[in-house]
Formats: sequence, C-alpha cells, structure tokens
Amino acid sequence: MEIRVKNVSKFYDSEGKRIEALVDVDLVIPSNRIFTLLGPSGCGKTTLLRCIVGLESPDTGEIAIGDEVVFSAEKGIFVPPDRRGLGMVFQTYAIWPHMNVFDNVAYPLQARSEPKGEIERKVARALRFVQLDGFEKRPATKLSGGQQQRVALARALVAEPKVILFDEPLSNLDAKLREETRKELRRFLTELKITAVYVTHDQIEALALSDAIAVMRNGRIVEMGTPREIYFDSDRQFVADFIGHANFIPGTVAAAGEKATIVDSAIGPIACARKTGAAPGQAATVCIRPEFIRVLSEGRGGGENVFRGTVESLVFVGDAFEGEIRVGETLLIFRIDSTAAVREGEEIALQFDPRHCSILMN
Amino acid sequence: MQKTSTALTPGLIAIVGFLTLCPVVMLILGSFSGELGAFGAFTLEKYVAAYTDPAFAEILVSTVIFTLGSALVATGLALFLAYLNTRTNIPGKFIFGVISLIPMMVPHILFAVSWVLLLNPSNGMINLFLRQLGLEGAALNIYSLTGMILVEGLLDLPIAYLVVAPAMSAFDVALEESSRVCGASNARTLIRVTLPVLRPAILAALTLVIVRSLASFAVPSVIGMPGRIYVLATHIYSIVATGYAADYGMAAAVGMSALAASITLIVLYRRLTREGEKYVTISSRGYRPSVIDLKGARYPLFAVVVLISFVLIVLPVLVLFYTSLVPYVMTPGAKAFAAMSWRHWATVLKDPVSLLALKNSLYLGIGGATLGIVLSFFVAYVIVKVRSKASGLLESLSFLSFSFPGIVVGIGFMWFFVQTPLYSTIWALLIGYIATYLPYGLRPLTSAFVQIHGHLEESSRVCGGGPLYTMRRIVLPLLVPGIASGWILMATMFVRELSLSVVLSRPGTEVLAVQILRFAEDGLWGRLSALGILMIFISTALVVLANGIAGRLSKKD
Ligand SMILES: Nc1ncnc2c1ncn2[C@@H]1O[C@H](COP(=O)(O)OP(=O)(O)OP(=O)(O)O)[C@@H](O)[C@H]1O
Ligand SMILES: [Mg+2]
Repeated sequence: MEIRVKNVSKFYDSEGKRIEALVDVDLVIPSNRIFTLLGPSGCGKTTLLRCIVGLESPDTGEIAIGDEVVFSAEKGIFVPPDRRGLGMVFQTYAIWPHMNVFDNVAYPLQARSEPKGEIERKVARALRFVQLDGFEKRPATKLSGGQQQRVALARALVAEPKVILFDEPLSNLDAKLREETRKELRRFLTELKITAVYVTHDQIEALALSDAIAVMRNGRIVEMGTPREIYFDSDRQFVADFIGHANFIPGTVAAAGEKATIVDSAIGPIACARKTGAAPGQAATVCIRPEFIRVLSEGRGGGENVFRGTVESLVFVGDAFEGEIRVGETLLIFRIDSTAAVREGEEIALQFDPRHCSILMN
Repeated sequence: MQKTSTALTPGLIAIVGFLTLCPVVMLILGSFSGELGAFGAFTLEKYVAAYTDPAFAEILVSTVIFTLGSALVATGLALFLAYLNTRTNIPGKFIFGVISLIPMMVPHILFAVSWVLLLNPSNGMINLFLRQLGLEGAALNIYSLTGMILVEGLLDLPIAYLVVAPAMSAFDVALEESSRVCGASNARTLIRVTLPVLRPAILAALTLVIVRSLASFAVPSVIGMPGRIYVLATHIYSIVATGYAADYGMAAAVGMSALAASITLIVLYRRLTREGEKYVTISSRGYRPSVIDLKGARYPLFAVVVLISFVLIVLPVLVLFYTSLVPYVMTPGAKAFAAMSWRHWATVLKDPVSLLALKNSLYLGIGGATLGIVLSFFVAYVIVKVRSKASGLLESLSFLSFSFPGIVVGIGFMWFFVQTPLYSTIWALLIGYIATYLPYGLRPLTSAFVQIHGHLEESSRVCGGGPLYTMRRIVLPLLVPGIASGWILMATMFVRELSLSVVLSRPGTEVLAVQILRFAEDGLWGRLSALGILMIFISTALVVLANGIAGRLSKKD
C-alpha cells in the first residue's frame, strides 16, 4: 500500500527551546517496496515513523495510507495506532516480558478477537517463517537478542498488515549477526511483497536492503532515489559524504561539453560525467569515491584525468589497500586492489574514470 | 493521559508534601514553643535545657558508637554473603533470597526480645545453661553496647545486603579477570580490585545502616534501656514517656538533631547511589559472571550461611514459642517440658488491651497498606511516566520521609494532632504510618513502572490493542508484582510498627508492638511471646494472602 506524507511538520518543546523534529516533509512511499529513511542521529527518522504509525501526531500536514487519510491537521483527523492496521518492529523489540513467545506473537490476533484455531494456525505459520518453530512455550525473557528480534518480526507480520515499519531493528545486534539478519530480512520482505518502511543510520544497511532511500537531515528530506542513484549520482555533498567516503575537490566549471563537463581544480582540469545545467564559470565540487581512483602501471601514461602524486600512507585492510595520495597540495583518499604493487612514499600515476567523477553544484 | 496527569501532579504534591513536611514543620515550631498547650509562643528554653543536660554528651557518644558499630557489623556480613552468593559456587543459593526477605518475617522488637531471653544476665537461657555447667564467669550480658550493636547489626544485615548484592553482581568481571591474568591470586584480587571498585556500594550500605540504626527504637529500648544505655531515640522516648511530666518541647528540641543527622546522611546516601541507580530493564545481552570455585571451603562456608539464616529467622521464633509455653524462664529440658501449658496464650487472648491491639494492628495493616498503595500508585506513575520538573519535586518529597526517625516524626505529628480532633484516634496512626512508610510502597511501584518501557505499551497499540485493552493485558499484569510487593511491605511494616506508635498511641489506640513493649517493660515474657507469635502469624498470613491474590491476578491473562 502506498503511503503519502504531505507537508508534515512536528515540533517539540524542550526546556523552553523549540526543536524542529520534522519540517515540511513531503514523501510518497511506493507500495510493495522496501523504503529506507536514512540519516544521522537526531535527524527525525524515528519521529517520521512514529507519525506514520500514529504514536505521535504531527503539528501540520496530512498522512494517507492507501486510500485512507489517517491524519490531517486541517480536517482534524487522527486515526489511533490500533486502527491503522500496521505492523511495527521497535528498536528495543518491545517483547512483553510477562508472556511467552506464543502469546507475544498471537497478541495482534487476540486483540482482534480472532477464533482460537485460526490464531494457532497463523502464529505457527509466522513462527515457522522466522524459523522459530518450537519456541512457542519459551518465556519471552529467555530469548537471545537475535531471537527477540525475530519474535518481534513474527508479531509484526502475523496479522498480515499491508505495511510494516522498522525502527533500527538491527542496531542491538552484534556486527556478524547484524549482517546475517539483514540478508534474512531482505529475503523475508521480498517474499512477502509488502510495503516496508525501514529506519536506519547505517548506510551499508540502507544500500544493501532498500529498493529506495530517502536521506534526511535536520528534519528535512534532502534526497531520494534508488541505492545506486544515491551512491553514484548524489546532487549534494552532505549525501555523498554521508553515504560512504568521498574526495571533494573544489573548482570552477571550465567547459560544458556534450559528453563531459570539465572542471578546473587545484590539481588541474578534471573531466567529469556530464552535468546538466552546469555553465562555464560556475563554482562546482568534483566528487570522486576512493574506489574509483586507479593506479596506472609504470610507463602507461595517456588518456584523460591522469595525475601524478606521492603515496602518503597505505593501510592493508584485507581485501584492499586504503591510503592517501598527495597530488600537489591536495590529499586524496584511495582504495586499490590488495594485489597492486604500491609502496608508501612512492610516486605513482593515477587516473579517474570520468563516468565516476560527479559534479556537485555549490 | 497527559492531560489528566497535569491535574494529578499538583494534587499529589499537596498530599505528599503535607505528609512529609507536616511533622518536620511542626517539630521545628514545637521545639521553639515549649509546651504542647503553648504552641506558637517563641522560646529557646527547651533547646537550652536539652543541650546543657550533662547526660547529653554521653548519649551522643553512645549513639555514635551504636550506629557506627551496627553499620560495620551489617555491612561486613552483607559483603561476605553477597560475595558468596554472586561470585562463588556455594551450594543452596536459594537461602540468600530468603535472607533478603527477612525484614518481612521477624519484627525487630521480637528479635531483640528473643536475644534478651537468651542472654540477659539474670535469667537468660544461655546464661542459665552456663551457670548449670558451673561457668559462672562466662555469663554474657546482652544489656551492653556490644549486645546492642550485634543485635542491631544482624537486623540491618538484610538492608545492607540489598544494597551490596546488586552492585556485586553487576560488577564488571573483566576487571577481576584482568587482575587474575596479571598473576594475582583470588584473595589478592578481592582486596586490590573487587573491594575498591565496590567502594561506592559499600559506603552506601554503611550510610544506610547508620540512618536505620539511628532511627531504630526496638533494640535501644528493649536491650539498651534495661542496661541504662541511652541513645538519641530512647532519650527522646524517656522525655515524653515519664507519665505526668511528658515534655514534648524538649523532645522536639532533641529530635531536631536526630532529624538533621538523618537528612544529612540520606543526602550523602543519595549522592553515593546516584551513579549506580541507572534504571535497568531486560537487556538483550546475556550476562554470565565468572564463578570462583570454593573447593574444600564450599561446605564449611555453606554451614556458616545456614547458621546466619538460622540465627536470623528460626532462632527468634523458636525462643519465643518456647517461652510462650513455659511458666517462667527456664532452660529447655524434662522439667520445662513437664511444665508446658497454653496458659500465657489464654491470658493474652482474654486480655482486652491485647485484643484491642491485635484488632487495631490488623486494621492498620490492611486498611493502611491499601490506602498507602493507592497513593504510591499515583505518585509512582507521575514520577516515572510524567517526568516534569513538578514530578521531580514529588519524587524528592516522597523519598524524604525515608530518612526520618520514626520517633521524631511521631513527636512532630504529636504537635500537629493535639490541635485537631484526630488526636488519640486510630486515624492519627494511619496518617503517621503512611507518611513514614510511603517509600516502602513507592520503591516497588516505581521500578514496576520503569520496567514498562514506553515501547511495550506503544507496541500493543500498534498491534491493534486499544487503550483499555493495553491497560488490561500489558500495563496491569506488569504492575501486579510491584503492587503486591509494595502492599506486602507496607502491611507488614504497619502490623509491627513501633517507633512512631510509641508516641502516637494512646489508651484505646494500642497497637501490637507497643503492647509488646509494655510486656517487656513489665518482664511478662510469657505473654509477650504469645502475642509476638500471633504478630508473626498475622504478618505471614498477610504475605501469603497478598502473594496468592497477585499470583491469581497475573495468571488470569
Ligand atoms: N519526545 C520528545 N521531546 C522532545 N524532543 C524530542 C522528542 N522526541 C524527539 N525529539 C527530538 O527530535 C529530534 C528528532 O528525533 P528522532 O528521534 O526522530 O531522531 P532519529 O533520527 O530517530 O535519531 P536516532 O538515529 O538517534 O534514533 C531530535 O532532536 C530529538 O531530540
Ligand atoms: Mg531513532
């Protein structure tokens, strides 16, 4: 089901100061996709999610889930969370400690007074789905973190909601379990074909899991797109920087050609992917991700975007070398194959592929 | 909920503020007034009289020795037990759970009396026994500062244990392990790493026991007064209890220093525990403290623990029950068995004052605890869930009374109640009890509320449970254990209440503990024991009853 958020703002008063948790958020969350809200801590992700489920009521705007308007400040509509028919996994999992696994999962069905046999059937199916069959009688307090997370997921799924929301569901797990669970979650959600809204501040999680990402900052949505678009073609330095690491080289547009846009920078002219709307003379920043800096083997010069620099530092990180190269006065971070023969202090030639040099207009 | 609670907070602040501040304000005013009849007439006369009394210095010295000594005994034992329980493989760990429950089982006055029965110099059972063996010189005298310190120390052991044990088990084992990795032995690790890290908890336990023993009345009155050893609490008591010449002005003037000392200590205690008092809910990570193998010492140490529990719980009850059956104090033996009868029981059950005391205490226990828990429920709700500046004030107010010595609160309330029709009614006792013991109901309820993380309720709402459904299936079941333990604590405290009652109880409003104190003063040990056993029986019955109801309520889900 599609979720439409129109002009939603939410303010808090805290010790006399007004906190703008959400400012004029406009958003359409497509149906049957995994949609991620990504942003640094305190940017308002949780607040937006809570407004959608109805645990918080915004100060302005309108929220519609499918065809139903569940909130409208203007028309005075507020559908309470228990009538919105959504599923949610909380950051703390919110497993009820006085119930066993079965009762935890059965709760949404019991709240709707479904017949007993039906409840048993659906709970069994949900538990099988999250691979917790046989855990029915286990007290909720005797579960590991990962198991609690899966009980929370089963509980959110059991009533077959059209939309399921997650607030950083993996942040309480350790790194390895987090990675496994992330893959599993992706599989579950793809299988289920439901709308999932997922909140995280972890870029890798967002890139790996989502069909679409909205990046938030200071209560505003700053950019939206597929993971690839966000990663490769971001329009903003904040987004490009927040999503992975990047080199930012300031300069001015020298020429705007058919195939490439040339930017004059401190290290010389750089040929970049064509940027519509860039006119000569404008200030611009070139963004190059460290993995797109290639080291040329000795003797092979030639081609576009070739520069010479000295390797300042080099760290072996297993599958690659990461380090810094000084080109003129500019330090660039780079990442190359661990088989490359490069040494610290060495002077090398490097090349950027113009397709991976994107321009951010200031 | 947010809207109703904004009206709730000021109302609660008014009620709790009255309960905790009224006795303090009245005490201050009273101390400057002189006589009960002359309330409001300013005079310094009573202060001068109280603090120039040549006996006062000696009383202060005794008080300091008594409180410090008890604190050391209680905290030392508590550390020993907590360490064994949380960090070693000692068998029978359930006993430690029982130890922390003791405060609910044997009332302090009965515990003190049972030691008097065993060790008083003229006819204590152990002393009689030693005499029979011809060890005349070995006779022990309980009526001494040492006797008071040991008995009070044992009585305060559970409270020190409750402070020390959680710190001991929350202790980061890695610190110890790294010491052991560095080659230190277990004993060295204990002294160099474990104890210093636990210092805040140890200091907190010491402070708390000092506050408790400063407020203690049972031990100083039953053990101290016969030996002419007076501490502040009994000094105040003797000022108002000397029949025709009761001097409430002077009692208030002396009470001011006890109150000031208590408040200072409790402020210190709060500072010491603020660090460790982070609210804890179920965590997602498992926690496994490393366990030290006691090897050969396992069973000897276990025997020591069993002995401590025996001395704390079984011995007093046995001594009392035995004494209630024999005509006069004698060592157990064939002669004693032949003389046993229910005579003392019959006398007590026909004694109109004892029966009245039974009725009053039962009424105060059940009615008072119920009212008290209702008040605690709302106060805890505001403290935990509303969280505004006003709720912070409410919290400070409601935990303040924890530091007040009962007898001092009693004197303060006395100044208040004589001006009202409540004087010498059971309502005076009820109000005083709730004011003094509010923290007992509040503690379990606030932790119950804290345990209900906001997400637990919200998650129920998202799952389709309406507000009432959420209240019934999530909030109440999670609160029931807190309500039950708060009620039990208050009810058992009220059934045995002594230090406040000793001031506020008048003819017609006698309560059990005061009646027991009268029997002790008159040396009527047989009747005292019979009534005491009845008192323990009532407390236990209330605990079982409340647990049963709570169990049924939380099962119903
Ligand atoms: N109940 C509240 N009262 C006052 N301020 C609040 C409240 N809830 C959130 N805020 C503020 O609103 C802003 C957005 O908070 P929100 O919880 O949505 O952030 P977030 O993006 O989820 O951050 P995180 O990644 O740390 O969870 C923050 O500045 C926060 O301090
Ligand atoms: Mg958040």
